[in-house]
Amino acid sequence: MVVLLAGMCPGLDEDLLRSLRAADIRTVEDLVSSDIEDLAQKCSVSYKALFAIRRVLLAQHTAFPVSGADLYEELLSSTAILSTGNPSLDKLLDSGLYTGEITELTGGPGSGKSQVCFGVAVHIAYRLKQSVIYIDTTGGLTASRLLQMLQTETNNADEQMEALQRIHTFRLFDVCALLDCLYGLGGGGLHKVCVGGGGSVKALIVDSVSAVIAPLLGGKQNEGMSLMMEVAAALKTMAKDFSVAVLVTNHVTRSGSGEAQPGLGVSWSHVPRTRILLERVESAASGRRSATLIKSSRQACLIKEDFDLQWWSRAEGGRGGGGETSGKRKLDETDP
Amino acid sequence: MNLPDQPAADHVLINKPMWTHMELPSRPTDVTKAATGSGSAGRKRAAVSAVRMRRPVSSLSLSSSVKGKLVRAGFQFTTDLQDLNPEHLSAEAGVSQQEALEALQAASSGHGVAPVTALELLQKEEEFRSIVTFCSQLDEALGGGVPVGKVTEICGAPGVGKTQLCLQLAVDVQVPAVFGGLGGQVLFVDTEGGFQVQRLVDLAGAAVRHCSLLAEDEEQRVAMTTFTVESILSNIFLVRCRDYVELLAELHLLPGFLSDRPRLRLLVIDSVAFPFLRLHDDLSQRTRLLQSLGLRLIAVATGHNIAVVTTNHMTTRLRGGQAQLAPALGDVWGHAPSIRLLLRWEESRRLASILKSPGHMDASVQYQITCQGFRDADQSERPQSKRPRTQTDQSASSRKNTGM
Repeated sequence: MVVLLAGMCPGLDEDLLRSLRAADIRTVEDLVSSDIEDLAQKCSVSYKALFAIRRVLLAQHTAFPVSGADLYEELLSSTAILSTGNPSLDKLLDSGLYTGEITELTGGPGSGKSQVCFGVAVHIAYRLKQSVIYIDTTGGLTASRLLQMLQTETNNADEQMEALQRIHTFRLFDVCALLDCLYGLGGGGLHKVCVGGGGSVKALIVDSVSAVIAPLLGGKQNEGMSLMMEVAAALKTMAKDFSVAVLVTNHVTRSGSGEAQPGLGVSWSHVPRTRILLERVESAASGRRSATLIKSSRQACLIKEDFDLQWWSRAEGGRGGGGETSGKRKLDETDP
Repeated sequence: MNLPDQPAADHVLINKPMWTHMELPSRPTDVTKAATGSGSAGRKRAAVSAVRMRRPVSSLSLSSSVKGKLVRAGFQFTTDLQDLNPEHLSAEAGVSQQEALEALQAASSGHGVAPVTALELLQKEEEFRSIVTFCSQLDEALGGGVPVGKVTEICGAPGVGKTQLCLQLAVDVQVPAVFGGLGGQVLFVDTEGGFQVQRLVDLAGAAVRHCSLLAEDEEQRVAMTTFTVESILSNIFLVRCRDYVELLAELHLLPGFLSDRPRLRLLVIDSVAFPFLRLHDDLSQRTRLLQSLGLRLIAVATGHNIAVVTTNHMTTRLRGGQAQLAPALGDVWGHAPSIRLLLRWEESRRLASILKSPGHMDASVQYQITCQGFRDADQSERPQSKRPRTQTDQSASSRKNTGM
């Protein structure tokens, strides 16, 4: 509903506006859906002028249809696929995170969601040399861990610092601050971030979106759902308009039979395009996690892949897995 | 692909796609540049510079009735609210002057805070030390000790030593900066009644003796004059909360308390599970309270650079027919702490395991609790117990813990 304002189109001046308001026509919808002849008589304006104004307003405010060919060309020119840095995850995601879409990681506490987010941020900042925006609502963002991951990629301190400068972080703890931040980025903040040097922003990571929204849902509060959908709309618009890949994390709830389900309910389940459930692998080396694809529009669901959280800490040359790692330290009980 | 004639596709995003064939009768003179016949390229260029997300009014932090009235009056985006004065807005939308003023303020401000790059974050983190536990193996596994600015949770079965570790941390945070400590104050929130002053005196005395043995140069000796058992006890603020309402109220009052005491570096809540375990008639309310509690603790920890330590009980979880011990309060609370330590008995050894940590791998270390407090496990294979050790053993273990 767009309010009629003077100067919106030629012929719509203050006097006409006043007479339209007197006839209870305040918005563009009201004007377009009313009977022109009737209105012309009521407001004592020429029919032709009103008709012309209506045509112009319609031209300005209608949605334009797009042909499939145009869409395809736009898709080819604006979508990029960002690898996560871990081949098993890339296999699940059909070669990586797609820009213009929201991907969700869900899992219980300690299942590795933040670690995957760190790994993705480091990979994009260092290998792909693009900027990343990291919004942290859990307080788990540890820059020393990012540095640890970078130190296994390169020994050059300058490159490490450069990559760290490409990761821009926000720490927010409530939903209004999150919305302010997202719209601030959308309204010109992204451009400022790029101007600071270090490539355009290609990824936006929100860890976690459920920490700020879940306390608002349920009970006697009725604003929770609408705020959740506002966040969803902001993330989607940002992904589409600015061609970024959005990665969010979510918590899990237990269903009746004890199985893990992504949190935030059915309404949120329509928001991300791809969803991955992370779980610990029992009775295995401490870094192993299993990832299951629970929602995807590109691949068959319920594909499972095991991967190692230590992948992002492996030394060059792929000496990953159980053996020696140069990243996270492993402590033995028999250490003196 | 036969497309209608278009300029070469510059790889930009457009809100409205281009269309060249428009079936409109003669229109009045050019309305907006975007719609004129300067061609689709012109439209594209104008659209690109205008790619800005418009913020809907419904996403502002105003009361829902005010938002409803604004939307019904036709103000859908914050751009519609620009250049309006409050009288005009209140007349148009039917809201009071005060509400109109608030709405205009919310629409024009609120572009969020500036981002902090990861490099600056790293520099800030390196400035703050961690709180040592006096068990060097555990400190190494945690990367220096309990970190400041994060929420750490200690879970374990009853009697395994959670309160002991909390008391030890309350003493350790006060170690002067010249010895590698933080020299900070403590707020101890006790919900179970497990706080024993006598034990605290023992721990404080042991810490003072340990530091006086280490004091080498003049600066450290001067610091030792202010580091006494009395000063340690006077820097611990104890609050007793009997139920969850008092606990939540105490946390509401926390920001005011913290602004008066900038030296506060540790907040201990022992335990966070006890008040909530009694709330089993309304589980959804418990979930919401726990989530908002977690969020508030994280905000306090990061905003005021405080280490927050909470303790939790264990509960039995049935998984696949087997009963396992898992931390209480469920996954809902499990997402709140960044670091989780599990204290447990294994045969006759005491083990501390890291269940969850953003910067360190899961590890298990052995520790022991002596009459001096939380310490490294003894190297010999003697079974450990809570009974106080003999004099010779005490001096041996204190000499082993050189440096922090």
